[in-house]
Amino acid sequence: MEHGTIEREIHIDASPEVVFDVVSSPEHLREWWPDEAEYPVVPGGSGRIGFGDTWMRFTVVDAAPPRLFSFRWTHEEGETAAPGNSFLVVFELEPAGTGTLLRMTESGFRERGWDEAKTAAEYADHVTGWDFYLPRLQVYAPKAAA
Amino acid sequence: MSVLVDDDLWSAVGDPTRRRLLDLLLNEGGGTATGLSEHLPVTRQAVAKHLAVLDRAGLVHATAAGREKRYRVDQERLARAVAQLTAVGEAWDGRLRRIKRIAETIQRESQQ
Repeated sequence: MEHGTIEREIHIDASPEVVFDVVSSPEHLREWWPDEAEYPVVPGGSGRIGFGDTWMRFTVVDAAPPRLFSFRWTHEEGETAAPGNSFLVVFELEPAGTGTLLRMTESGFRERGWDEAKTAAEYADHVTGWDFYLPRLQVYAPKAAA
Repeated sequence: MSVLVDDDLWSAVGDPTRRRLLDLLLNEGGGTATGLSEHLPVTRQAVAKHLAVLDRAGLVHATAAGREKRYRVDQERLARAVAQLTAVGEAWDGRLRRIKRIAETIQRESQQ
């Protein structure tokens, strides 16, 4: 939180190999996030993800199956992904019983400022995200301040 | 809304001690650095520094109260900060739910 990081942890009843494939392959990414995804799943692999008519740069940082997948996104065309010009998303996978503990962190918000982060999130999840959580925000935000 | 202000907001509420301070200020309706430090495992000087950060971000406002400043929460501004923090987090909650559903479906189908 201090450095502008979103952190989440969930248990999934599937093996780390399966979960790794779901969080890393372009074919699966399209099912849980963008409309389009084109990139090679190798460290340094560069490509793009698309939301409707909007394309965003996407660069794989680490791909170590079945325990680690990380990438940077939203850097400008022609720029090399680095802290300050993109958000870093890290998925860490750990065997847990017959399933997998999946840890996700997204960082880089402080470096880039919130407006930009919010805009990126809005683009990236416009199909299911905002419709779902805007009504909840309207309830939650005043309650948090009350 | 400038990016700089939002960055201040983000870092102001990103610290656990400052979030605790906001809780205390909201519960008590306001407070001074001395009074607030009695509820926290940090010195009055540390509390004063945290309050200054919150003040710069516009989350609290100070008025003179004797030798000390008395702080109150700017509720509208806090609500905005909470909404921004929540927005990106909730986007990921949705994505992770979908990841879980997809992975568990693949696993089940491979076992049949």
